[in-house]
Formats: sequence, C-alpha cells, structure tokens
Amino acid sequence: MNGNEILKIENLTKKYFNKTALEDVNISVEKGKIYGLLGPNGSGKTTLMKVIAQLHKQTSGQVFISGNPLSYESKSSISYMPTENFLYDSFKVKHAVKFYADMYKDFREDYAMNILEEIKVDPEFRIAKLSSGLNGKLKVALALSRNTDLYMLDEPLNGVDVLSRDTIMDLITKSYDETKTFIISTHLVSEIEKILDSVIFLKDGRVELFGDAEELRLSKGTSVEGLYKEVYKNV
Amino acid sequence: MFNLLKYEFIKKYKLISITLISALVLNLYLLTRGIAGSSSFLLLFPLVLSVLYVSDVIRTYSDDLNKKSGYMLFMTPNSGYKIIMSKLAAAVIEGIGMLFIYFLFILINGAFIIYQTRRYVDINEVMNDINTLLSGNIGINLGHVFVFLFAVLVFVIGFIVTVYTAMTIRKSIFSEIKFGGFLSFIIFIGLNWALTYVSGEFYSIVSPQYNSFVNVTTVSASELLVIMFPVIAVSIIQSIILTLCSGYLLEKKINL
Repeated sequence: MNGNEILKIENLTKKYFNKTALEDVNISVEKGKIYGLLGPNGSGKTTLMKVIAQLHKQTSGQVFISGNPLSYESKSSISYMPTENFLYDSFKVKHAVKFYADMYKDFREDYAMNILEEIKVDPEFRIAKLSSGLNGKLKVALALSRNTDLYMLDEPLNGVDVLSRDTIMDLITKSYDETKTFIISTHLVSEIEKILDSVIFLKDGRVELFGDAEELRLSKGTSVEGLYKEVYKNV
Repeated sequence: MFNLLKYEFIKKYKLISITLISALVLNLYLLTRGIAGSSSFLLLFPLVLSVLYVSDVIRTYSDDLNKKSGYMLFMTPNSGYKIIMSKLAAAVIEGIGMLFIYFLFILINGAFIIYQTRRYVDINEVMNDINTLLSGNIGINLGHVFVFLFAVLVFVIGFIVTVYTAMTIRKSIFSEIKFGGFLSFIIFIGLNWALTYVSGEFYSIVSPQYNSFVNVTTVSASELLVIMFPVIAVSIIQSIILTLCSGYLLEKKINL
C-alpha cells in the first residue's frame, strides 16, 4: 500500500443467497481525487459502498482504510451518504443536524447551517414532509459538513430535479480540496463527468474498467459518457 | 454512550407521551365509575403497559436492523458493544420509568378508593396502612419488594437480550440464507430451552440449602434472595454472554 492510498480493496466478493453482488473486486483509491463509481442499476455500486461503510459484511476479501483493516473506528474517516431516505422521519432538519453534531466529532454544525440556508432547506422542516429534491440536498449537506478524509456519495443526483442537481454539484465542488477524496456513484454520467479525476466501471459486480478519466478519454477517443454507453450497450 | 441513549429516547418520546396521556385520560374516565372502575384500571393497566413495553423495546431494535433509518445509527463510529449496551440501558430505564408511573397511579387510585370508603384522605394514614400491610399482615417488607423487583428486572433484561440476540443472528450469520427469520426464531426457542435447562440444573445443585427454610412460616428478604439466587444468577450470566455475542455480531458480521 503506497502512502497516497486512502482506500484499498482486495479480492472483495459479496454474495446474497444465490446472487453474487460483487465478485473479486480490486480497487486502489488515492487521496485528493474525485472518483466516479459508474454502472447501471444492479451493477454493485451501492453494495460496494455499503461494504466500505460497514453496513454490509463482505463474503470474502479485505478492505483497508489508510492502511488499516475496516473497523468501527474507520467510520470516523468515512462520510457516507446512502442513496435511500435514511434520516429519521420524525426528526426536523435541525434535529438531524444536531444528531450529526453529537455523533461525529468532525461535524461542522455552523457550516451545515450555512449550507442549509444557501440551498434553502428550512431547519424547521420535518424530514417526513421534505420533497425528494430537498431530502437529496439535505443528505448531501450533512455528508459534506463532516470534515473527514473520504466521502462516499451514493447516487446523489438520483430523484432530484435539474436545478437541485446543479446545487448538489456546486456543493461537491466547493467542498473538495486536495486533502479530501470523493467516491461518487451514479448512472447519470453526463452530469458528473466534468468533475471526475478517475472512473470505476462496475458491471455485474466486477470491475470492468478502472483508470484516470483523462487518460481513458485520450486512449479511447471518447468521453466518459461515450465509454459508459459502450461498456453497457448490451445491459 | 450518552448520545446513543439520548437519541433512543428522543426517537420514542412521542409514543411514550401518547401512551401516558391516554392512560391518564382512561384513568380519569374510570374514576367516574367509582371504586370498581379504579380497581379495574389498577388491574388492567400493568398488563397493557407490559405488552406495550415489550413490543416497544423489540420494535425499536427491529426498526434499527430492518429499516433504512437504522443506517443513521450504524453509520456512527460506535462499536457494536456500545450500540447493544445503549439499547439495553434504554430498555431498562424505560422499564423502570414505566414501573414508577404505575406506582404513581397506585397512589392516586389508592387515595381515591380510600376517599370513597372513608370520605377523607390522610396521607399518613395511607402510608401507615401500606406499612402495616407489608410488615405485619402478610409477612413481607420492603426488602421482599426490592428482591422481587430486582428479580423481575433481571428476568426482563434476560428476555430482551435473548430476543435481541436472535434478531442480531438473523441479520448477521443468517442474513444471506433463505428462511433466516425462521432459523433465528428456532434459535430463540433453542436458547430459551437451553437456559431453562441450565437454570434447572443449577437449581437442583443448590436446592439442598433450602431445607433450612422448609419449616419456617415466613421467609426473610435475604432468604428470599438465596432462594431466587439460581435463576437470578443464570439470568445475569445469560444476559452478559448474549450481550457480548450480539455486540460482536453487530460489529463484525452485520448486514443491514
């Protein structure tokens, strides 16, 4: 493991009943880059993120965060945003912010409140009553308000309108700096292509293509979206 | 740990408030029906409250394991042991709180019944009546009550931990197996059978010591504690082992 590596995945396999969700996945993620975890629905993106976030246990293989095997302590270094609506329905937005502030030492409460004001999410709103766009923005705001090493955003653009997508993209680019690493899963490649340093294409639970976005564009003579269409044309 | 506990109660304060307000309204209504209404409330309330309590503590844990909102808890950098301990601590505090509320209802309804029969309520007289009842007439005192409550608390914790363990096994070891729910139920039954068996064996080993109590008409609180010791000890050991197992599985094997 080299010094610039924040995440290393070795021979990772995850099976559910008779279905194999991930098979022999090997990935190395470097600090300070934005990775696109790309693939259609069912390709294994969410499962991979959940294994790293320790919401799922792998069937075999290993995951290392900054050289250390996964443990509950590594959750301190990972800010994970699940794609599902996971925030307590009975909470108001301000309660969710308080929850994060209480649970994560690296959470910046003032920063979160400023973002919420900027993206027009009222702290007094009840989470159960939020539209999918507002809920999506809130989830991203909470994840980005942590000041940590690795951010994993699972389908941050899913189910949100075009304007909200722009807001979310703005939030991500503003939060990025060279000390932070982002892994963003999506099947909406065109929306996110411009900010990606590297791409990981997953197909049927396997890594189909992995590399520097710019190098791939040059070597294949097409955009990441073009590559996506090529890789998944028969899916 | 404190934060985990805090959010356990924040999540359920509405349900607890609604339950208590409903109980108060029902009690007030039954008080208008006289002594019979008040007595029925005192008999029925603990039964209903026990069912609500057990279903609430099981539902809370089940929601965390089976609903997406459980991610909020399991994403936090807390060990599996801390999570299960906070769940148990919340269940115990909730149980003690419910018991306290029931005692308050006993006092209110007791005062009402006395007022209905004597047309006045002297709180000193009420306390004297309780004291006489406990220390003299039926041969028990506050020591007996504490031993009994301690035993109940230990049994309830043992039961809750057993249920939690079965659910944890379902979401960890059996999460990738078909009929995992059924298997975890079988495990729950098996655990209870094994624990009853161990408890029985332990009881038969120490029971000769009880011969000294056989000819005694009343049993002191300390003697009662000795009599109940085997089942209490087995319950405590069971709770510790199962809590450690659940903590380990939550930390190392969970599949939400």
